[in-house]
Amino acid sequence: MRELTPADASLLELVDRLLHKGVVLAGEATISVAGVDLIYLGLNVVLAAVETLESRNGGPGGGSPRRS
Amino acid sequence: MTLLAHAIAPAPRPSLDAEGLRGRQLNWSEAGDIGLWSTDWDPAEKLDRGDALEHHRLVERICAAQPCLPVRFGTAFATDDAARASLESRAQALRAALDRVAGKSELAVTLLWTNNPGGAARRPPDEGVGPGRRFMEERRARYLARDTRRARAVELVECLIAGLSVERALVWHDICTGESVAVSLAVLVPSERAAARKTELERLASGFDDVTGVVNGPWPPYSFARVD
Repeated sequence: MRELTPADASLLELVDRLLHKGVVLAGEATISVAGVDLIYLGLNVVLAAVETLESRNGGPGGGSPRRS
Repeated sequence: MTLLAHAIAPAPRPSLDAEGLRGRQLNWSEAGDIGLWSTDWDPAEKLDRGDALEHHRLVERICAAQPCLPVRFGTAFATDDAARASLESRAQALRAALDRVAGKSELAVTLLWTNNPGGAARRPPDEGVGPGRRFMEERRARYLARDTRRARAVELVECLIAGLSVERALVWHDICTGESVAVSLAVLVPSERAAARKTELERLASGFDDVTGVVNGPWPPYSFARVD
């Protein structure tokens, strides 16, 4: 698993705020949860792709993609 | 069609030259002295990463024009009446939260480990020990490493708060949220001083040997928009 880069950290901090912070209002619905998951999935795919590339190049990659 | 919520702001509706997501009309639902900005949204449509970032940019524009509370992304109301009823049910708390963030922006700092502060406690198990003892020793070393990291992260938080000289009520933080992350911290600062405070925060965050600091913002007060 590679280390988080500052760019990854910035994106994760922003996504964390959009999805987990902010006002929660009564009586609302949260729509399209699968779509929201895709935001995280998008970053994980990037991380996984980097790991795969590093593994093929004999670098420090490997392991399953995760948030950090 | 639902209303995809973006932000809560004081009424009356200000003049705001902005569109909703995907170029759609930006709506305003008013209840008493507060209102909600939203975009018409078909609940069958999937929200994606672009929509989240567009929501962020839109909330930034709203917050630049007036005090605002960002609403958690993905929140929708069935109708305008439902949105206004929700505002009315928590009007007092929402007004108090708006007062708390008025004129302020959020700065965020993430401290990433550059080494493993618990690593020194790890050592290879002795060859001659049995599997039970080996398991116990490895587990003890793992816990020691974790506790060492958490203790160091707490120290880092205290250093940042002391260095910034801010009230604790204006700081939110979490520690060790992932393998790489030591500290995630947000601070609420006056918007007109945000650039100067960001420079201070960058200087503080770069002063540690064992972590790399990443400073973001100023952005809307996401971490301070909670309503009790």
